Amino acid sequence: MRWGAAGRPLLGLYIPAAVAVLFILVPLVGLLAHASLADIGDALTSTAALTSLRLSLECSLLAVIVSAIVGVPLAYLLARTAMRGRRLLRGLVLLPLVLPPVVGGIALQSAFGRSTPIGGVLHSLFGVTLPFSTAGAVMAEAFVGLPFLVITVEAGLRQRDAGFEEVAATLGARPWRRFWLITMPLLAPSLTAGAALCWARALGEFGATITFAGSFPGTTETLPLAAYSAFEGSGAVSRAITLSLILLVISVSVLVGLRDRWLGTVA
Amino acid sequence: MSLDADVGLTRGSLEVRCAVHVEPGQTIAVLGPNGAGKTTVLRVLAGLEHCRDGHVVLDGEVLEDTASGAWVEPESRRVGVVFQDHTLFPHLSVLDNVAFGLRSRGVARVPARRRAHEWLERLGVEDHAASRPRAISGGQEQRVALARALITEPRLLLLDEPLAAVDASAKIDLRRTLREQVSGFDGVRILVTHDLLEAAALAESVVILEDGRVSQQGSFAEVTARPRSSWVARMAGLNLLSGEASADVLRLGNGSELIVVRGVSGPALATIQPRAVGLHRERPTGSPRNVLHSTIAGIDPHGDRWRVRLDGPVPLVAEVTPAAAHELRLADGGVVFASIKATEIDVYPM
Repeated sequence: MRWGAAGRPLLGLYIPAAVAVLFILVPLVGLLAHASLADIGDALTSTAALTSLRLSLECSLLAVIVSAIVGVPLAYLLARTAMRGRRLLRGLVLLPLVLPPVVGGIALQSAFGRSTPIGGVLHSLFGVTLPFSTAGAVMAEAFVGLPFLVITVEAGLRQRDAGFEEVAATLGARPWRRFWLITMPLLAPSLTAGAALCWARALGEFGATITFAGSFPGTTETLPLAAYSAFEGSGAVSRAITLSLILLVISVSVLVGLRDRWLGTVA
Repeated sequence: MSLDADVGLTRGSLEVRCAVHVEPGQTIAVLGPNGAGKTTVLRVLAGLEHCRDGHVVLDGEVLEDTASGAWVEPESRRVGVVFQDHTLFPHLSVLDNVAFGLRSRGVARVPARRRAHEWLERLGVEDHAASRPRAISGGQEQRVALARALITEPRLLLLDEPLAAVDASAKIDLRRTLREQVSGFDGVRILVTHDLLEAAALAESVVILEDGRVSQQGSFAEVTARPRSSWVARMAGLNLLSGEASADVLRLGNGSELIVVRGVSGPALATIQPRAVGLHRERPTGSPRNVLHSTIAGIDPHGDRWRVRLDGPVPLVAEVTPAAAHELRLADGGVVFASIKATEIDVYPM
């Protein structure tokens, strides 16, 4: 270890720092210690677990796609235009990050529930019911995942000015051509990172999903919900642990995938 | 084809007002220190910025006129720009960078790529057609950027410090290539630079832009021989003085006087070559008409000559050989006598 002329690190800082590390590490070790290979094998071949895994992947990927379709344009406008009220808008976009997910779920329910004006119109005109449906689960996940995508993409756009788009303009490229051939390809790394974060968040979403979409196996019972009901309801602790491990592996994979962005050299 | 532009705008604390008129087949250099507003003017010509008041007319077509509200989008201007940074699109191959302009104007992929390849050959970088921009050198990058700008057959070519980011060894070659290609281009050419050498190599006439204002314009030789601002004089390596001439005396602003050759009267500028300034430890006797009691403010090596900065009645730069500097013990500083012959002072009306 090296340190500069500013002096040795204070020894008194080591102990709380170690507590922080253990605080994160011990529960993970506990999770691994309670897992048995046999249980994992059982869980991975059980229809119920596979159903919730598949549902989780479908819902979370759809949530990412929805977030990207609306989030990229929003990030672009936030980064590149001098809109009035831009700061306010950014604050609004960030709100789901700090809002308790349960509140998000209740808010979605209050806006799109069967008895609300919007929910009523959707039901009577299109026969669509969002609460307690798979679409509702996707909505709940997009609600909490969208901010991650928007802020990451916006930061990516802010990292460079519009110089390349200007070059393209002088070469005769019209605005949409500049957007698709210059802006979007140069944005790919940020979009990938933003989508990965959004996906990880969507995959782990619990509170908003259970409040807005409920927990119906095959329809809205995603992995975190299945893990919770195994743990709490049926007392199948080993199954809960296995499902948790699956989520842990996915989280670690996202972290490894984004390591250059987050764990890279810190100046 | 000709360009007629008069551009006025405010950029931060800088007030820019620049009028240029360029005939076809002519290269004009907009020359000035960093932060003078050169790039801003270029951006207005390219349509990347609006001006507050003024107009840009190319070949009789009004590209912008704040009086009538006329405005042509940059993508419709037929302007080619070689930028100083943001040169090549990093995610496209060299070939696709060059083909980009043709593709944007509706040329099909195959003919666009074929012509792009011809342009790469013309500029001697065809071996790198498949490379990504980050894999080629700065000099090659600017050649590709030039090909990309010229392939669309623009009517106005704008070069923004095209040699600034290129290392010294590649500069000479690139300068020659630029000159050849640019002189073969029959539209209007504007070079923006702070480098006198670049302007000398590529442009016939120069517009000096300082603090947003045109301080001088004319042929390169004219402007550098008789500068009207201290910046140009410094770039040209000349001492520039200003004062009031009458008969054979030039009275400077601080009251000191120099004996000059008679001919100009009224407000005047004067240049003195640094090597025409003689330095002596004892007051010289004989022919020099002007002897100035000065103190040494600093010495900078400058090739095989040393530049001695002098404080005194007339601040001057003198150029001496290292041997002379040694003999006169100039490194010790102190008082010296600077002598200048009247015939070495070029006086011209302000």
